[in-house]
This record gives sequence, structure tokens and C-alpha cells, in this order.
Amino acid sequence: MKMIDVKELSFRYQKKGKLVLDRLNFSCEKGTVNVLIGLNGSGKTTLIKTIAGLLENYQGEVFIDGENLRGLSIKERAKKMAYVAQRSNAVDDFPVLDYLLFGTANKMNFYQSPKEEDKKRVLDCAKQFGITHLLDKKLGEISGGERQIVSICASIVQDTNLVILDEPTSALDIKNQHAVLSIIKKIAKEQGKTFILSSHNPNHALYLSSNVFLLRSGTIVAQGQAEDIINIEELKTVYGEDICYSVELPYKEISFMD
Amino acid sequence: MLNQKKNWLTGVFFTLVSLTFVVVFILALIVGRYDISIGNFFKMLFGQSGYEMERSIVMNLRLPRTIIAALTGLALSVSGLLYQETFQNKLVSPDLLGVSSGAGVGAALAIVLGLSSVIVSFFAFGFGVLTVLATMFVARAFQNKSSMVLTLSGIIVGGCMGAILSFIKYLADAETTLASITFWLMGSFEHSVMDDVYVLLPIVAICSIVILAISYRVNIVALGREEAQTRGINYRAYRTLIIIVATLLTASSVAFAGTISWIGLVVPHIVRLMVGRDTKKTIPMCMLFGATFMVIADIISRVFTAAEIPLSAVTGFFGTIIFVVLLFVRRDTIREND
Repeated sequence: MKMIDVKELSFRYQKKGKLVLDRLNFSCEKGTVNVLIGLNGSGKTTLIKTIAGLLENYQGEVFIDGENLRGLSIKERAKKMAYVAQRSNAVDDFPVLDYLLFGTANKMNFYQSPKEEDKKRVLDCAKQFGITHLLDKKLGEISGGERQIVSICASIVQDTNLVILDEPTSALDIKNQHAVLSIIKKIAKEQGKTFILSSHNPNHALYLSSNVFLLRSGTIVAQGQAEDIINIEELKTVYGEDICYSVELPYKEISFMD
Repeated sequence: MLNQKKNWLTGVFFTLVSLTFVVVFILALIVGRYDISIGNFFKMLFGQSGYEMERSIVMNLRLPRTIIAALTGLALSVSGLLYQETFQNKLVSPDLLGVSSGAGVGAALAIVLGLSSVIVSFFAFGFGVLTVLATMFVARAFQNKSSMVLTLSGIIVGGCMGAILSFIKYLADAETTLASITFWLMGSFEHSVMDDVYVLLPIVAICSIVILAISYRVNIVALGREEAQTRGINYRAYRTLIIIVATLLTASSVAFAGTISWIGLVVPHIVRLMVGRDTKKTIPMCMLFGATFMVIADIISRVFTAAEIPLSAVTGFFGTIIFVVLLFVRRDTIREND
């Protein structure tokens, strides 16, 4: 069963501007983790925002869980998918607990506010992400990395089957990168959620045993299982000739054990 | 634990401000140039005969102006808060999209044309609303739906209205109409009557009900378009609704009281210090606190001198002092972006 089905998707920011996405066709199965990899400016964020329903005026079609994105209201979209931007614009003086509770708004009527059961769900998610100690702090009082973890936690609070993350590890140290990736892996396995995320680190796709989409200039140049796609030959088409395996380096690369 | 303490404190603040409002409201009916003792006031209130003079002063003069003061304070404070949240900028006031400058032009035009005070209010309201519509039209012409373009359009249209107002003042008779325009622009409740209350009250009541109903959602609108939309909130629809409500509140207040500065900027800041950031709490608190603040300002404007001090002078004087104190207290939380 397809969670995301993209057909002939093209996008440009200005009417006569350059095509940022050029007739993309791909799909993501339910319960899978999907990673978009490509250079800066290859169209990863644009693709993610289009799937999240944040960019209008695209050509082609995007189907989410079998329904055309164009036909879904903003509320219906928020019940199907959660999205986390590279950087949250939220005002610094929101307390973390309140910010996480906003994730429950997708299931409320316009006059309602969070109930006790919503607070319980937020606490459960915060425990899962190890951020209960941050709940009483304001967003402006926590570090950039902690803030990114809070944003990802908010997307899980939203309780959707599809989670879209734009470079979720970009502001994190290597320990927190590993922590976030392991949570994504665990949630995908245990709760059957579908993830689509962009990353600048091909090793993340390997760690997540994900499907990989290699993007270059708004087109997908390769796609498949991470073990098949993340190899030097394929990556050279995106990153150039200088890319190599870490074993070829004159030093030992550092990573984390599960 | 911390949340329980916060809720307890919020409850205390709500009780204190509500009590203060009741006391100040009664005080506003008692004090003034004609001295009414507290004893006589309550005798008059409970219908004892022999206090016709007191009854007439309270019912015909002090009660309407105090109700108008409370409604105006409520309306301007809530409008300020709504704009600050929606445009993610704590330094904006209800005049962000040009409503007050437009209302000023409307009122000045009506005064120059020699129209009655009812028509002056009507012109002020109409021009205030039209100015905001013009701002939205200019923003639309840029074919960019961002809040920044809307704010810039507000500055452009507001500036244009300021120029038109200067031109009307230049044409006005220096002896008569120019003085009236200047006095109107400084704000006053001196000519408030019960008929004004009958018009202003329903507008403020309906707008308040709408905003209280969506008060939690205003929090999410304050996250900006992307974050609001991903949580299922139609950002642009809510932003439009908020602008309509804030415009109606501001335009109707300005129509009956003239332009009153600072209150829409300062009250939301004080309220946030008291009850925090959650708009489910700040919106009702802004209503209560704004109403109380304005009734106090009105008492000050008419008690200390024989002639009434313009309201903007009172709110401006106390507003700036409070704002300086607030900035001083919160100076550590203000960070440089560079």
C-alpha cells in the first residue's frame, strides 16, 4: 500500500523561473523510512514542502494515503501527516510543554483546547524522546539541538501515519543525531508510521535501512534500498569524484553503536 | 507542580484585576467635578428619593463615559494583543494596518464639513475600516501573501492617510475646526452618551465572543504559517478573521473616543508578565486589564484639573513610564539578533 504517490511532479518558485522539481515520479510504501539525499539546492526541501502541502501551484499530482493532496483540506492534511521544518519559527517565549500540546490541535474543534488525555500523550512522547526535563522551560532557553528534538517530538504528538522531516539532524551533535535516528527507527518499527526525511549524511540512510532517493537538480537519479544505493559509484553522480569510503581515509571515523 | 503553581497565580491575578475593575468602575461613577459622597451614591443607587441631581449626573454623564472607557480599553488592548501575536512582533499596536490614521481622516473630514458628532463617529469608523481594506488591497497587488508585505502595506497606506490628514488640517479654519480636529485626535470620553454605548457594546461583545472562542488557536497562529498549517490551522483564514475582529474593535473604539495611544501596545505586555504566553489566558486578561486601565486613565483625565486632560496625554504619560519599567525588568530576555 502506498503512503505517498508522486506523479509527474514539477515545481518552480517564479512563473518563468527555473524548474526546481522536474517531473518527478516515485512512491513510498506504508510503514517505510524514506531518505532524500542530494546536494544543497537539489530540491530536497522543495519536494518535502510540496508533499507537506505547504507549496501551492505545483504541476502533477501528489497522493497521500490514496487521496489527492489538492482535495484535502488543511485539517485533513494535518490528520494524515506531520511536518517539521529545518528550523522552527516559533516565538522563544513559548514553554516547551505548550509547544508540544499544539501538536494535538489537529484533532480539536476551533473552540477547544487540550484536555488531560492530550497532556498525558505529550508526557508519554516527551519520555520517549528523553525531554521531560525541558517541559517547563521556554523554547528560547533550550539549545538549538534540544529545540530540534522538541520539534520532532511535536510531530509525533500529532499522531499521524506519515511524518515528514526536513533535515531533522542538521542542528544536532553526533550523540543527539544518533538518538533522533534511533527513535525514528524504533517508532517506524513499533508503530508502523511512514517517515520521509531529507539528510546530508548518506550514513543516516544506511543506519535507518531506509529507501533512498538520490536527487540532483530536481530529478531523482537513483532510488532503492540504502544498501543498494549508498555506494561510491552511485554517490559520485551526486557528490562528485572525491567521495570515498571511510576505510580509505588516513584516520578512523567516529560513529555510535546502537 | 510548576503548572499548578502557575494556574494558582493566574487565578489570583484574574480575581485581583476583576475586583479592581469593579472598584474602579464604581469610583468612576462617584468622582468628578460634582462631588457625590459614597453614602449618597449608594442611596441614589438603591432608588431613594431626593437624589435626582446625583442620579442625573451618574446616569446621563458618568455611566455612559465609564462604560465607553471600559469598552474602548478592552477593545484596544485585545486588538493590540491580537496584532502582536498574529504578526509575531511585540512592538506593534492596533494601528498596524492604518485603522487609526484612517479613522482620523474620516473624523477630520466630517468636522471640516461641519457634520454632527454622530456622523463624525460614523465617518471615523467607515474610514478606519476602508483604510484597512486599502492596506489589504495594496498587499494583494504585490502578489505576496506574507505578513511582512501586509505590514509594509499598512505603513504605506497609514503614511498616506497621515499626509491626507495634514492636508485637511491645513485647509481647516484655524479658529474653529482645526481645534476640534486636534482635540478629537487626542481622544476624549467627554461627549459620550448612552446612545454611543448601544452602538459600541454589541460590536465589542460580538468581537469578544468570536475571539474568546478561538483564543487557544491564536497561540498556533502565532507560530507562523508553516507551523500553524501543519497542525491543521488554516493560517490565512484565521489571520483574516483576526484582522477583521481587531479592525472592528479598533475602528469602533476610535470612532467614539478618538485616537488613544499606547494602551494597545503596553497592556498586552503587562498581561503577559502576569499570566504568561498562552492566549487562552492573555486574551480574557487583556480584556479585563485594558478596561480597568482605561477607566483609571479616564478618572485621571477629569479629576485633577478643571478642564479635562486629553486621554492620549494620560495614556501616553503612564504608558511610556510602564513601558520603560517593563523593558528594564525584561532587559535580559531581549537579545540581539546579530
